[in-house]
Amino acid sequence: MHWRRLGINALMLLSMVPLYLILHSASWKQREEVRRSAPPGYTMPAAFSRVLAFGYQGLLSDYEFLRAITFYGDRSVKQVRMSAEDWDFFAYSLDVVTDLDPYFLDPYVLGEGLLTWDAQRFDTANALLRKGMEYRYWDWQLPYYVGFNHFYFLKDYATGSEYLMQAAQIPGSPAFLKTLAARLAYYGGKSQTALIFLQQMLAQSNSETLNQRMQKRLLALERAVQIEEALQQYRSDFGADPAALKDLVQSGYLQKLPPDPYGGEWGILRNGRVYSTSKFVDPKPDSRE
Amino acid sequence: MLKRVGALAVVTCKEGIRDRSLFGILLFALFVLGLNVAVAGFFMRDLGKVTVDMNLAALSFAGLLLVFFIGINLMAKDIDKKTIHLVLSKPFSRGEYIYGKYLGLVLLVVCTLALLLVFSTTTVAGVNAMYPEYFGGFSWSVYFWAVAFIGVQLALLCAIVVFFSAITTSSFITLVFSVATYLVGVSIEEVLFYLKSQAAAGEVAASETLRAVLEIVAWLVPNFSAFDLKTEAAHGLALEPVRLLTSAGYGLGYVLILLWLATLIFRRREFN
Repeated sequence: MHWRRLGINALMLLSMVPLYLILHSASWKQREEVRRSAPPGYTMPAAFSRVLAFGYQGLLSDYEFLRAITFYGDRSVKQVRMSAEDWDFFAYSLDVVTDLDPYFLDPYVLGEGLLTWDAQRFDTANALLRKGMEYRYWDWQLPYYVGFNHFYFLKDYATGSEYLMQAAQIPGSPAFLKTLAARLAYYGGKSQTALIFLQQMLAQSNSETLNQRMQKRLLALERAVQIEEALQQYRSDFGADPAALKDLVQSGYLQKLPPDPYGGEWGILRNGRVYSTSKFVDPKPDSRE
Repeated sequence: MLKRVGALAVVTCKEGIRDRSLFGILLFALFVLGLNVAVAGFFMRDLGKVTVDMNLAALSFAGLLLVFFIGINLMAKDIDKKTIHLVLSKPFSRGEYIYGKYLGLVLLVVCTLALLLVFSTTTVAGVNAMYPEYFGGFSWSVYFWAVAFIGVQLALLCAIVVFFSAITTSSFITLVFSVATYLVGVSIEEVLFYLKSQAAAGEVAASETLRAVLEIVAWLVPNFSAFDLKTEAAHGLALEPVRLLTSAGYGLGYVLILLWLATLIFRRREFN
């Protein structure tokens, strides 16, 4: 009897434990697969979540924000391109987060960083930032971001200047804002505008992932500015643009064309701005545009 | 009379401290505070807001657990275990019993909150020292006001527990009624204002009756949002003294009415 019970226990140990271990790893692997291909998920509208937070709206906003940033980080690490649906989810999440706690700064900063450059949704980003301006009236950064978007992306210099002036009038705003509007109006849609802006944004951020992305974009912009300056020199010497950017190297204005960190090809736009075929966005495995 | 009420309050509070679940609640709060230190780094700029959110949530949730699980037990035990006969055979009026029990619960809540506040202050100061440049709008005075109003909110909740204990016979029913009252009270403001804004926008026309019903509910149930200063504390927004006074007065008024009703009912009650 005693031996029989021992035998049963040993048999259970030898069969069940390995079986559990195998199923455990299979299940986790499957979950990883499910999460990779999962659609973006669902964010509850703020009208409901504000009630269902039962007084913990602030905490819920932190959680929803983490969810949005993790979702983006997940796609980014796995090199999966954000689809239009993914961006819908992302933008909506930021909207809900700022409905839950409209004073929360992070979603506005993240929205400015990603909805413009990566998603090309300038109006969504501006609408989000304007919501923030209503609440964070003491914060110069939000009008500053909206102003930048008008300058660089929307090429609306008049509106851009208005927002920058508004930012400059807020107590505690940095002194450079007062002259920035004038400088940006001079550079307009050129790379220098974005360079000034990104340097400022980088100096204030604490997020490693976002910083790495911004560093890369900063490097690309610095190189674009370098080429633009050589181009300017060439233009004032010869009175016309070179036929191709290679001519700048041949005539000695540049040592060599610096490579675009995003792997694109440099070119000249008709307004004299240097652009890259990569648009300073990481190349995508699939060609969905 | 004051002496008797005070003695009962102290005994009730001591009995609550002896409850083992108190350690569980304190451990839970400490865990959240520790989690806060770990999680703060995930955010970009507003670390001060996240820290304050988590700290105040830990404090208020620990308080809720305390009132719902230990508080209700303290009230109901006397009736469940028939020890109330022993207490009422002493020279106590029934009104004194209600007030004593209530003050004991409040004392327990205040002691626990004070202890947790020490830990929470340490956490906030620690995270503040770790990331000083991301604590822009933070203000200690607003933070302490928010904690004080968590105390007011819990005191109100204690009164609700005492009231339902006085009129029901089982601690489980008291628990269900108190939790339900809390959930309604904490969300009524949001729902009412949402309906008002919807009505103003002309979107939902059929909800007139619903709104009328909710208006009546809002008179009966305390509006817990009035004591919620978490957003203000998270961003260091200015607090007007009038607002603090009004909220505190509103809470005190509600507590007094509830305790008065509880004594009225408790006096007529028969125990068997």
